[in-house]
Amino acid sequence: MIGRDKALSTLAQVLAASKADAAEAVLVGGSTSTTRYANSAVHQNVSVDSARVTVRVVLGTRIGTASTNSLTGPDLRRTVRAAMDIARRQKPNADFPGFASPADYRAPEAFDENTAALTPKQRAQKLKKVFTRGARRSYSMAGAFTTGSGEVAVANSNGVQCYHARTSASLTCIATGPDSTGYGAAASRAAADIDAAAVAASAVDKCRRSRSPKDMAPGSYEVVLEPAAIAEIFNWLAFVTFGSRGFQDGSSCLAGRIGERLMGEEVTILDDAFDPACPGLPFDFEGTPRQRVELISRGIARSVVHNRLSARRAGTVSTGHALPPEEAAEGAIPLNLQLAAGSQSAAELVAGVENGLLVTRFHYLNGFLDPRRAMMTGMTRDGLLRIRKGRIVGGVRNLRFTDSMLDVFSRVVGISSERFLAAPSGDPFSMMHLPTVRVSALAFTGKTEF
Amino acid sequence: MDIKGKVLEAVDYLKSKGASYADIRYVRTETETIRVKDLAVESIVRDTSHGFGIRVIADGAWGFAATSTVSAGALRKTATRALQVARASALSQREPVRLAEAEAVRDSWKSPCLTDPFEVKLARKLDLLMGATETLKQKPQIRVAESSMTFVRTHKLFASTEGSLIEQDIVESGASLTATAVDGGEIERRSYPSSLGGDYATGGYEVVEGFRLAEHAETVRDEAIALLSAPPMPSGRFDVIIGGSQVALQVHESCGHAVELDRALGTEVSLAGGSFLTTDRLGTFRYGSPVVSITADATVPGGLGSFGYDDEGTRAARSPIIDRGLFVGYLTSRETAAALGQRSNGAMRADGWASIPLIRMTNVNLEPGTGSLDALMADTNGGFLLETNKSWSIDDRRLNFQFGLEVAWKIEGGRKGQMYRNPLYTGMTPAFWGSCDAICGREHWHVWGVPNCGKGEPIQSAHVGHGAAPARFRALELGSARQPAGGGKS
Repeated sequence: MIGRDKALSTLAQVLAASKADAAEAVLVGGSTSTTRYANSAVHQNVSVDSARVTVRVVLGTRIGTASTNSLTGPDLRRTVRAAMDIARRQKPNADFPGFASPADYRAPEAFDENTAALTPKQRAQKLKKVFTRGARRSYSMAGAFTTGSGEVAVANSNGVQCYHARTSASLTCIATGPDSTGYGAAASRAAADIDAAAVAASAVDKCRRSRSPKDMAPGSYEVVLEPAAIAEIFNWLAFVTFGSRGFQDGSSCLAGRIGERLMGEEVTILDDAFDPACPGLPFDFEGTPRQRVELISRGIARSVVHNRLSARRAGTVSTGHALPPEEAAEGAIPLNLQLAAGSQSAAELVAGVENGLLVTRFHYLNGFLDPRRAMMTGMTRDGLLRIRKGRIVGGVRNLRFTDSMLDVFSRVVGISSERFLAAPSGDPFSMMHLPTVRVSALAFTGKTEF
Repeated sequence: MDIKGKVLEAVDYLKSKGASYADIRYVRTETETIRVKDLAVESIVRDTSHGFGIRVIADGAWGFAATSTVSAGALRKTATRALQVARASALSQREPVRLAEAEAVRDSWKSPCLTDPFEVKLARKLDLLMGATETLKQKPQIRVAESSMTFVRTHKLFASTEGSLIEQDIVESGASLTATAVDGGEIERRSYPSSLGGDYATGGYEVVEGFRLAEHAETVRDEAIALLSAPPMPSGRFDVIIGGSQVALQVHESCGHAVELDRALGTEVSLAGGSFLTTDRLGTFRYGSPVVSITADATVPGGLGSFGYDDEGTRAARSPIIDRGLFVGYLTSRETAAALGQRSNGAMRADGWASIPLIRMTNVNLEPGTGSLDALMADTNGGFLLETNKSWSIDDRRLNFQFGLEVAWKIEGGRKGQMYRNPLYTGMTPAFWGSCDAICGREHWHVWGVPNCGKGEPIQSAHVGHGAAPARFRALELGSARQPAGGGKS
């Protein structure tokens, strides 16, 4: 972390070095510490400081981009020259919309000093609670405890100057018994909010309930999908369905279908960087203030997110979802997806299932099968439980599902009122806020041996 | 700044502060990525990144710290932080870390590079990419035409408290070409030389020129368009020949990850998972049929997983993994090898200065068999030929998998017959490799480069390779993305 003043002065230095018609500079930095544990002992413990400056320069409509992680004056000037060199040799881009103009943005408080200052020793002490909880049942505990601080600054020759810093903390835990595993996790902007004992207890409970798993034949089953499972699905939807690139290339299932009913009436999906529970970056990597965007409203396709280029092509305005310049070719992507809460408790959702499965989480999802139908496949993991007559009755060996998410979210029976924070990509700026969801049928197409 | 001198000073400093082992890597990476979309240059990005990564064993436990500030002061401060982290790790350490023996090495190594890609004029690169995409866009059904090139140049300096001092310079080059055809609600894609970013190798601009993108553009375009009206893949069990690039990905997912010894020992459970190839199965488990031999070989010239030394200073090696169907070896590090009473076979790599080395694939190669693809197709009438990956998924112990591909052809009269779209196949790893009864010969064998292998927390993206040739699998379970294999419905 170099802080607001140094970040913005570094970017000012970059802009001053540019002789281009226009220039933009982005700084992404931070300090991240991760303590990984397995077999109930710490086995990796890392602490990394980093900062990167990316500069885009424009000559007419020819754009050059270069980046460096060295913030010394000579290296910054060299990077500007590299960008200029590219721009001179680049071909004109008639769609280039210009850089953002200054605009006010809300900046929710997201920085916790204690989290930023957490020591390796404090992380190790917190993990002792995890090991103690596992030892009570002789379960082997594995996971990662990550804390850190991150900062993003954007400036351009139109006068944009944005800066935001935040902290984050996340703990994941997998308990492994003789023939079962269980998962627990928590995420917050403050490490003090992470209740390590509760996370471990959740993993241990899932592992215990999953023991002596039974075989179930592939087929269509009613399911209750916990928030970690929904997060894996949403992580793919963000990319293949709600991003601007797939929408404009025609591969997204929303392409040409805005205004149509694609999901059940219970389903409202939005991107909201200003949810107090999981505030995201208040502006994007072009310096445009983030907007709250309804993507699916009571089952009806409403919109995708945009950066300045995709917005120009779509004849609209940017929603403030540009990625860092070096990833701009991927288009705009929502970073803080939410599924609107329902009215029942998660326990009530389980209680309503006559014969079905509770899915704790998925593993290795893939959404490239047939993105026009939002087809996905993946395995269950770390807690697949049988529900009979509204009660969890035991573990089931893991299954593979292959299904269309349009169909799955058209079969929603209920959504929980409680929601949890999830950070499936591991990025502190892209947490999601998600409930438990009951679905009348999910197509399981294969099974494994554990 | 005399980086080498300061690194050696810092190594001595760590020793003086009680580190029983330490290594320091200085890594400098330059990257250039060019993307062309339709008839415009979408982006040209150059990046430079450098920094120090410091690994320490103190009080019997590991610590790692890294900094992007390249100065003597930052190096000393980061070394101290690595020591602090190690001592914190020791608070919950069960047994002290033990490393397998290794010789101190003082050496340097360079990957082959005939034409430095960073010296090639941008105009020449753009002409190559624009020419290929222009051919794709000649037909209106092609909604999106894309091509790309990526070049990476890495300088690594490694020094350890055991006296090793190694410098390496590695150049990597890759390119891709993709046509996306759209008609109403249908969308189909063909890619060359492979999908998901293309193909990569260690080497210079000659690698990219060798792909001859422009010569393949017409076929890529026409196959993408033909897929729009092709019937969906039928479901059922069929004999199948899988093309080389998909065989490479199958090796990657079902063998390469499964033989990482850290996974088998449980230390990657928290993210990627474990492995069904547990240590009690070493030397006894039948992984595949007798035609299946798989070798980890970091010495293959041009392989994307080739290097001189890994990031622990272990010399690049060639190690048997599967010997005529029998599981005989893991990819190892010094720490994990010690647990089996072995020496490391040199598979520890980090994806940059900021990352801790992990066990990563090198070039995990399916050894070639004999015979031509034509001969194999002539012997597989009524079966299918499947090519080019579209989707991939496998369970967390690397057993149940499902892969989607861009295209399938019915084999009729020993040739490609009817084309089918959206094929999927699924299976269990040992049964799948057990059903392999033929692998094409060395003339069809190619080391495919995979530049985006994810593992670890924080996630790291490794560059690895897989030698593979088209291979035949008997009675494989097939389906289509709309009617998945396995009996489920969607």
